[in-house]
Amino acid sequence: MEKLVDSRGSACPGPITDLSKAYRNSQVGDIIVLWATDQGVKADAQAWAKRTGNEIMEIKEEPDKIVIKIRINKR
Amino acid sequence: MEKVLIIGGGAGGIILANSLDLDQYDVTVVDKEAEHYYQPWYLYVAFKGSKRKISRPISKLLKPGIRFVKDTVKEIDLDNRKVYGSYEVTYSYDHIIVATGTSPDPNVIPGLNNVYNQVGDFHSNLENSRKLWNSLRNFNGGNIAFGMASPVCKCPPSPIEGVLLLEEYLSKKGLKSKTRITYFTPYPRAYPAEPMNRIVEPIMRERGIEVIPFFDLDMVDTENKKLKSIEGDELNYDLPIIIPPCKGTKIKFRQDVKDEDGFIKADKYTMRIKGYDDAYAVGDVNNLPTSKTGVTAHLEAKVVANLIQGVYDKFTGRINCPFDMGHGKATFVIGDYENPVVEYPPSRTKHFMKMTMARIYWLTLKGYMDPLFDFYFEYTNPKKLNEKYNKSNPPKASSQPQ
Ligand SMILES: Cc1cc2nc3c(=O)[nH]c(=O)nc-3n(C[C@H](O)[C@H](O)[C@H](O)COP(=O)(O)OP(=O)(O)OC[C@H]3O[C@@H](n4cnc5c(N)ncnc54)[C@H](O)[C@@H]3O)c2cc1C
Repeated sequence: MEKLVDSRGSACPGPITDLSKAYRNSQVGDIIVLWATDQGVKADAQAWAKRTGNEIMEIKEEPDKIVIKIRINKR
Repeated sequence: MEKVLIIGGGAGGIILANSLDLDQYDVTVVDKEAEHYYQPWYLYVAFKGSKRKISRPISKLLKPGIRFVKDTVKEIDLDNRKVYGSYEVTYSYDHIIVATGTSPDPNVIPGLNNVYNQVGDFHSNLENSRKLWNSLRNFNGGNIAFGMASPVCKCPPSPIEGVLLLEEYLSKKGLKSKTRITYFTPYPRAYPAEPMNRIVEPIMRERGIEVIPFFDLDMVDTENKKLKSIEGDELNYDLPIIIPPCKGTKIKFRQDVKDEDGFIKADKYTMRIKGYDDAYAVGDVNNLPTSKTGVTAHLEAKVVANLIQGVYDKFTGRINCPFDMGHGKATFVIGDYENPVVEYPPSRTKHFMKMTMARIYWLTLKGYMDPLFDFYFEYTNPKKLNEKYNKSNPPKASSQPQ
């Protein structure tokens, strides 16, 4: 299942909170698409994926947002 | 007169009710409790044993002319404008505001209910905060595992405020050398917003608090006194201090308006429940991309009061969370949808401001402090403060809706 997490504008607690929350509610095989505006999200999502054993499929910069696609491999 | 029905007499619900023109609107507030609690003080009950009275009757906090009903709302039908309470009581409305805050749910993490009932915590209610103070007084040294049981937590600074106040208590009691404090968090660092973390993590390190990032609590093994994380790590404890998972509302909606955790899906500028123009979710219960705090609930309530009364307004995502660093210093977490959190240094003056806020809180609910707040919010405008303090912070992409 693909799930969109719109975290645009979140300064605090920030997109990493929304990503962790979505992860808790996900299953192996799910795809999480995270939208964020906080530049720090790129490094955070990569560190998070490495630590949790999940896979970053794509990080895309759009004019109004950063789009990160993550495949859940471990839950 | 148009009927405004407000479910929840917390910070958001009371401020909203008191901001409406009572000559124009018939306002009812429904709450399952008769008393309103000043939740930020749970910290000082749990870690300092404060006995200050922190609740007032909701009926006394509302302006004369506003109706208060003590009842638990069970179900809402937004399409038919019907609200169901206990004992088959129903309410109708022209405008509805759901402001029911969050509810702690220790049952979703195996083993956590034991900790919740036996040790207490400093988030759920007054009784559990007193319980935690008693647990602390019986503690004579060992491992303290301190953290939150879910990534969502109201008042994001409060977990770290708690651990810093704990350290202050242990130092004063002479128990510091006999205690190891570990702070676990699901985030990549102690504080989720990086600019504030640059201030906080060095202070935690200096005070001997070990930070364990990426530790998303999965279960509490009470027999072997271990915490286990989703990531597969373990942490031993003698005393576990854990904020239970923070969930949205238990009210049943006939329409699909809640996310998986019970938070209501609402527009981040107007707080309108998605798909409705007569229904709003204000404060902690909504799923806005901002912090769940009393200040946010306050600002959202003001915007909704304007919108109901036909005045154009829009919430900016402004946050302003006081952050007690222990030992008499504090700072504020300031930011909004357009500007990142400010790297705002702690000081004794800011601690004084936090303590003053606790004293004037009851007046703020009535709106008596609004001119002072307007001045303060302009003075601490996140854009201006960022220019002054966040030299190293990259700007954000714009988050304006397309
Ligand atoms: C330890 C701690 C420290 C904090 N520190 C700060 C701080 O320094 N600054 C800050 O701004 N915020 C702080 N907060 C957060 C702040 O207390 C909350 O964000 C704020 O109270 C949210 O207001 P609300 O109106 O959304 O919900 P609440 O104030 O929680 O009110 C919700 C109300 O709804 C009622 N209710 C719930 N369900 C029902 C139902 N089914 N039917 C009828 N009534 C119902 C409840 O009884 C309650 O009265 C702190 C919180 C904690 C726990």
